[in-house]
Amino acid sequence: MGEFVAGISVVCFAASYLVALACEGSRLLFRSGIRGAAMVAFAAAGLVAHTLFLGWRAAHEPAVPLSSPFDWYLLAAWLLAGAYLWATLANPRTPVGLFLLPVVLGLIGAAEISSREPFPQSPATQAWGAVHGVFNLAASVAVAVGGTAGVMWLLQAGRLAQHRAAAPGLRLPSLEKLAGTLRWTFPAAASTAAAGFVSGLVLNAVNHRRGLLDTIPWSDPVILRLGALVAWLVVAAAIAQAVRQRPGAARTSAFLAVASLVCLTASILWGVLGHSRHGVPPDAPSPPPARVRP
Amino acid sequence: MTLAFAGGTHRTVPLDLRERLAFSADQVAEALRRFRDRFPGREVVLLSTCNRVELYAAGGADSAAPSPGQIVSFLAECRGIDERVLAPVLDGDRDEAVVRHLFGVASGLDSMVLGEPQILAQVKQAWAVAQDSRTAGPLTGDLFQAALRTAKRVASETALGRERLSIPSVAVNDFARGVFERFDDKRVLLVGAGKMARETLRYLREAGARDIVVLNRTAARSAELAAEIGGRAGSLADIVAELAAADLVVSTTGASQPVVTLDAFRQAEPRRGGRALVVLDLAVPRDFDPRIGTRPGVWLTAIDDLAAACDANRKSRQREVPAALAIVDEEARRFMGDLHHRSTAPVIERLRAGWSETGDAELERLFRRLPGLDEAARDEIRQAFERYAAKLLHPPLKSLRTASHSGPPHGLLDALKRLFDLKD
Repeated sequence: MGEFVAGISVVCFAASYLVALACEGSRLLFRSGIRGAAMVAFAAAGLVAHTLFLGWRAAHEPAVPLSSPFDWYLLAAWLLAGAYLWATLANPRTPVGLFLLPVVLGLIGAAEISSREPFPQSPATQAWGAVHGVFNLAASVAVAVGGTAGVMWLLQAGRLAQHRAAAPGLRLPSLEKLAGTLRWTFPAAASTAAAGFVSGLVLNAVNHRRGLLDTIPWSDPVILRLGALVAWLVVAAAIAQAVRQRPGAARTSAFLAVASLVCLTASILWGVLGHSRHGVPPDAPSPPPARVRP
Repeated sequence: MTLAFAGGTHRTVPLDLRERLAFSADQVAEALRRFRDRFPGREVVLLSTCNRVELYAAGGADSAAPSPGQIVSFLAECRGIDERVLAPVLDGDRDEAVVRHLFGVASGLDSMVLGEPQILAQVKQAWAVAQDSRTAGPLTGDLFQAALRTAKRVASETALGRERLSIPSVAVNDFARGVFERFDDKRVLLVGAGKMARETLRYLREAGARDIVVLNRTAARSAELAAEIGGRAGSLADIVAELAAADLVVSTTGASQPVVTLDAFRQAEPRRGGRALVVLDLAVPRDFDPRIGTRPGVWLTAIDDLAAACDANRKSRQREVPAALAIVDEEARRFMGDLHHRSTAPVIERLRAGWSETGDAELERLFRRLPGLDEAARDEIRQAFERYAAKLLHPPLKSLRTASHSGPPHGLLDALKRLFDLKD
């Protein structure tokens, strides 16, 4: 059993999600009696493999979830894959996977080109590091869910505005349901992102006091981009709240949610492809800008 | 075994003649009874809907089904219509064509509205009436069961009946449901009380709508409809106040000018609290100023938009026809194969009986010669004889089954009869 679990690679669950995505895409082309079952089976198999992979790393590597960029992205993908499976089981005729699975695969792709080296840890920084990672993770998941709901809202609204009947393979959730999802994702994303940012500052302060950092790296690109992202999410949440009672509030929220997802994607790409000493002790050599694993 | 049908549909029979040809429920039972008296030993099912009247008959080997011409005469006689008037507009066919026709009918392929599902219930009902009247039998039973199975396959394996074609159903299911997740917490405002409004309301109630307000020029008419549907009647003079509270409006008045102008809507707008408003304007000319549809949070759909969506759905259904026909073809071939195989049953039965008789006689002789055999040994020997006979019979029976798939295996049956001296 242990050997089997150790043999699970990122490719295993990424391929399962990819097949589930292909099944979702085929809804637009033809009808099938077994596709639903196949789709759920592949997504579930992928999620199980994904869980075992993360569990194995936590048990056998010095890499509990969130302890490296690689693990962080994989955990975010795992949460979104779970959300996809739940949404598909709850609404089998709604092709949520067409919108959510590309985000899952994108995060897995980001993990693959991210560093697997764990962030430096000490007993004091480990707790703050975990808080920082968990809040950032929650914010990213909320932004991803909100962004996909926003895309679906705009597509559904576009169809209704053009007075087109719903395509058989692309029956999206109602605007009311999507607006309900958007309503909670804004405060959730803004509050958790802010908490993640503040806990990151506290982590730096603790490191500085313990002599692990010479100075707090205020100009670090990661801190700057995360600060910008947090500011954007707070502003977006404030706008969404301010226009809540106005006609067309849902459309504004949908655009803001999609823009937030674009900002998050840009931030992730910047982090993955850019050059930063974020989470690296001062005496350690600079990490390479990106690491593409075989 | 033979099958035959004759009948007419909206395609060939003019409406006035169709009305005269149609059978009421009582008349169907009476016609079935008359058919049984006229053609004893035959099975019959009569399908009568507003768009079609068709009589399906089946007969065994010694009592063939009446010809389509005889069925036309029978229908003409039952309905008191001159046969010379009826014969040119009715269709008829025999055997495999009957199977294909019925399977297509049950699947909605022959309906006025392609793929409509009501015909399946009507076919089921016709068969049930024939069963009650004791005019259905094993042959029509198998035929109609296979037709229902085919229709279910067509419904589940193609999108033939998926897209909605009626304006009220498209309005509610494709548009209103696209905006709202649930309707039990929504206020529905009915402006006008026409037939289209009632039909749309039926779909909305199915979706859960309970809070309904009816506005009409005539107070009595709105009160009447409100009482009928369990809603509240209001006055058209209060339309601005009602618009402020409504979530969904269905408008079907016969007014020549817009009932709700942009200015009137602007008065209601600030009191709506930013809630979405769905307007299904099913009136011609339109009741709502089209500019209202450009206001944020308003989803205005006019009858022309819905008609265009219905047309698109109709074309989409048309694209499913080849797949549906392929299923009908497959099921018809399977049914005919089973039917032909069934026609070999008497010969197989005689063959088995002959072998069994010979086997029993031989066993009897053997047991007399070996009186010391106990019951267990005798059973063993009997079973060995049965197995031996079954194994010998297996190849010819298999050949018969295979040959049945491509038509009645008359040649093989004659050969078996001559080889084993089987008498009819």
